[in-house]
Amino acid sequence: MGALVKTDGLVAQVQAAEIQQYLTFTLGSEMFAVGTLSVKEIIEYGQLTEVPMMPDFIRGVINLRGAVVPVIDLSARFGRNATEITRRTCIVIIEVPSGEEKQDIGVVVDAVSEVLEIPASEIEPAPAFGAKIRTDFIHGMGKVNGKFVILLDVGKVLSVEEISTLASVSGQGASAQ
Amino acid sequence: MAQQETSKIATAQFAIEGEMTIYRAAELKQVILPHIDHANVIEIDLSKVSEIDSSGLQLLIAAKLEASIRDKQLHFVGHSKPVLELLDLCDLGGFFGDQVVIFPHGTH
Amino acid sequence: MDLDDALKTYIIESRELLEQMEDALLRIEQAQDDPEIINAIFRAAHTIKGSAGLFGLEYIVAFTHVAESVLDKVRSNELRIDPELVALLLESRDHIGTLVEHAAQGDEPDADSDRQGAGLIARLNTYLGNPTGETTAQGGMPVEHAPQIEREETHSVATDNWHISLRFGNDTLRNGMDPLSFVRYLNTFGRIIQIVTVVEAVPPLSQLDAESCHLGFEISFQTEADKATIEGAFEFVRDDCLVYIMPPHSKVAEYLDLIRDLPEEEMKLGEMLVKCGTLTRDELAKALQKQVEEQRPIGEVLLEDKIVRPEVVAAALDRQKQVKDSKSTESSLIRVDAEKLDQLINLIGELTIASAGTALVAQRAGISELQEAASTLSRLVEEVRDSALTLRMVQIGATFNRFQRVVRDVSKELGKDIELVISGAETELDKTVVEKIGDPLTHLVRNSMDHGIESAEVRIANGKPARGTLRLNAYHDSGSIVIEVGDDGGGLKKDKILQKAIERGLVAPDANLSDKEIFNLIFEAGFSTADTVSNLSGRGVGMDVVRRNINALRGSIDIESVQGQGTTMRIRLPLTLAIIDGFLVGVGSSSFVIPLDMVVECIELSDEDRRAGEERNYLSLRGQVLPYMRLRDTFDIRGDTVRRENVVVVQYGNARAGLVVDALQGEFQTVIKPMGRIFSHVNGIGGSTILGSGEVALILDVPRLVQLVSTQAEKSGLELA
Repeated sequence: MGALVKTDGLVAQVQAAEIQQYLTFTLGSEMFAVGTLSVKEIIEYGQLTEVPMMPDFIRGVINLRGAVVPVIDLSARFGRNATEITRRTCIVIIEVPSGEEKQDIGVVVDAVSEVLEIPASEIEPAPAFGAKIRTDFIHGMGKVNGKFVILLDVGKVLSVEEISTLASVSGQGASAQ
Repeated sequence: MAQQETSKIATAQFAIEGEMTIYRAAELKQVILPHIDHANVIEIDLSKVSEIDSSGLQLLIAAKLEASIRDKQLHFVGHSKPVLELLDLCDLGGFFGDQVVIFPHGTH
Repeated sequence: MDLDDALKTYIIESRELLEQMEDALLRIEQAQDDPEIINAIFRAAHTIKGSAGLFGLEYIVAFTHVAESVLDKVRSNELRIDPELVALLLESRDHIGTLVEHAAQGDEPDADSDRQGAGLIARLNTYLGNPTGETTAQGGMPVEHAPQIEREETHSVATDNWHISLRFGNDTLRNGMDPLSFVRYLNTFGRIIQIVTVVEAVPPLSQLDAESCHLGFEISFQTEADKATIEGAFEFVRDDCLVYIMPPHSKVAEYLDLIRDLPEEEMKLGEMLVKCGTLTRDELAKALQKQVEEQRPIGEVLLEDKIVRPEVVAAALDRQKQVKDSKSTESSLIRVDAEKLDQLINLIGELTIASAGTALVAQRAGISELQEAASTLSRLVEEVRDSALTLRMVQIGATFNRFQRVVRDVSKELGKDIELVISGAETELDKTVVEKIGDPLTHLVRNSMDHGIESAEVRIANGKPARGTLRLNAYHDSGSIVIEVGDDGGGLKKDKILQKAIERGLVAPDANLSDKEIFNLIFEAGFSTADTVSNLSGRGVGMDVVRRNINALRGSIDIESVQGQGTTMRIRLPLTLAIIDGFLVGVGSSSFVIPLDMVVECIELSDEDRRAGEERNYLSLRGQVLPYMRLRDTFDIRGDTVRRENVVVVQYGNARAGLVVDALQGEFQTVIKPMGRIFSHVNGIGGSTILGSGEVALILDVPRLVQLVSTQAEKSGLELA
């Protein structure tokens, strides 16, 4: 599991709030992006351990340099089919606030594209309807070269609160036989 | 851990190993007492005592007393460095009347 | 005594005291002259100073001493509180806070804070009528029983040294203090010229309560320090120990008082003083002469009799020794940031995995020298890992032992006879967890003593021994530490709890609750079943706080109670880090770890049982019924099935169950990793660990699985043997 991109340096470059940097990636045919501030690193997909009785979107856990980190299948989280694993499949490690602490969560994406600077002026609010995913997951729509990129609200998509509730509902299932 | 090495009818020889501290004081009492009950000459090897505190010191004193009341001989041998340091601090070398090997400076 | 722990405790307590002090200072302007508030402020300063002395934190002692002197004047109404003084005291409080933080950092105050301190001292001194900046020698620390110290040349003793008499209280050891550490501490600011260990009170071994303290010391001590500093050294034990401090050249008569006050026989004590060099033989004779004149009940014959006895004291009489360098006796401890340890342990985890990887490669390469080198490496890595992990683990025994005092005091208060039985004291858990578990435990212990254990009369009437038993127990259990607080009292009264809960509107009157659910009601906020409200518990605050505190540690608490026989509160806490011996099993492509101490045996699942298993979920093990579950089904694991399955027989408490797995992969030592909040409710999984290959393996929550299997078995009407 070698780190493909170390983002520590990138984080330091982001100073002005006006122009934020985003890491773009693809999921199916769509382009999504998350702010680089919350991205810790990107690793190859591999050596994942499934956790039984979890909802589909919780893929399992991986060993990230000695820490056990949960891995979320974004596509499944959006209510679509689970991501098919290919050579380009990556896990993006994202730092999410969880109460007072921070929790690292990995998300499975089809491929990581690039880091883009998107000025605030080029970001439009989430559409009230018509989006293919839950609107509260959308932080905004970024315009890049005339195309729209969905900027994800990491706090909502990877809400530890919500995920653990879903996990606990599903995780109690062992008694049902 | 304390273990019995040899046991004759009249002589008991055994060693106390590890720490002689408040955490083990009650346990060590139960280790030592039966030996005083069963033997007339008791020799306790202290060479493997890694740490000793006031409760450990008290045990040594109480054991010696117990033996003397019951007219038995009890000796401590092979005092480890922590034991020696403690006896020195309290100036109790004479109390036990055992042969104490004084550590030359610089060794341990 | 673990000095590191003690210092940490001191710092935490000082911070709390400083908060109280600030609070009180802020209130005092409104409540002029309230002696309670003034006392609270004084006590806070006094305690901080006294304890600082014990740790040799001279800079705290020196500064706080001045502030305390001013407070003492306020206390004795020599000074009036005004806004200006309050402001100065608040500044002084802040400065003490700064100094305490220096102590916490393990460094000395810098020039800046020294300057600030000097400025404050100068201002404080103006209140003491002492503007030159000289601090008053007599602080507010009178030692009780201390003899008068006015000097009178004619009848003073010759020695230039201080004399210190110490008789430690029986509970000194139980309270976590080591008398000898106080003696060692004296060496940090002076020289012990001569010491006599007073062993007269030590009983013979057969009568010794090994945890009681019977030691005392007579010490001749040379120091430049003032009396307050020497007194400060004994601040922690002053309440239940006898401490007498005689300045150099005290009067002979004062020694006579001392001899009378101490518990040993007079003559023997006199001998000790002579041996200490505190009194010359002449002086002793003079003192005793005086005593005879005063017609103290002690006769010549008796004296002579005592003198010739070959005593303990006499044995060491002629031994003149050099007081050794105190440094050699101080244990070398260093304080390390826990975060650094975490970092180290994580790195070592990676190292372990890397080393396992190397071994794998070496094996594939087939070069025997390389394999040998790799195996040496893995052995070393394993040793490093083991010792690194122990760094943060501490035994729970010290925490348990503190309850000896609590149980004794509370028993007395309640008029009950209660014995504390401790087991599992050697169980290790993370230091951070230990620090946070004290309060909830105290509450549970008090609750059991107050509500659980009945009065002696009731106990006798019910055919129980008059003496109640409180049990503290700890053990490791699949990635958790379990701490039990048990009593042999009356047990929880279900009806009463339910009735109260209905009254309070906590449950609907027609609710159908299991025993466990009813018991758990006592953790609800605002719930109390005590008939009478005592000052210990029963105010309806507490049990809910206990549960909240334990939940905050990501732990859980449950109750087992049998009416008439007693109650056990069982706290389960995760170990953020611990090693357990695990047994690795495979199901499909997944690997699971079963804590080895819960594995009873492994057997092959016979074809017969396998076929029968489709109808029923138990098998016959040597004639005994063993309910079982197939992990493949329970965990819904896909993938090819194997021809031969195995049953791992596990046990938790009295219940046994079989877990059917594909493959048995053997034992190994494993580091438990927390799974994080997301997985905190997964049924049957207790934690995770990282295998040599770098893969994560899940640790089975055997107690939960056993419970599931038993419930299923019960449901299907199976009679368990």
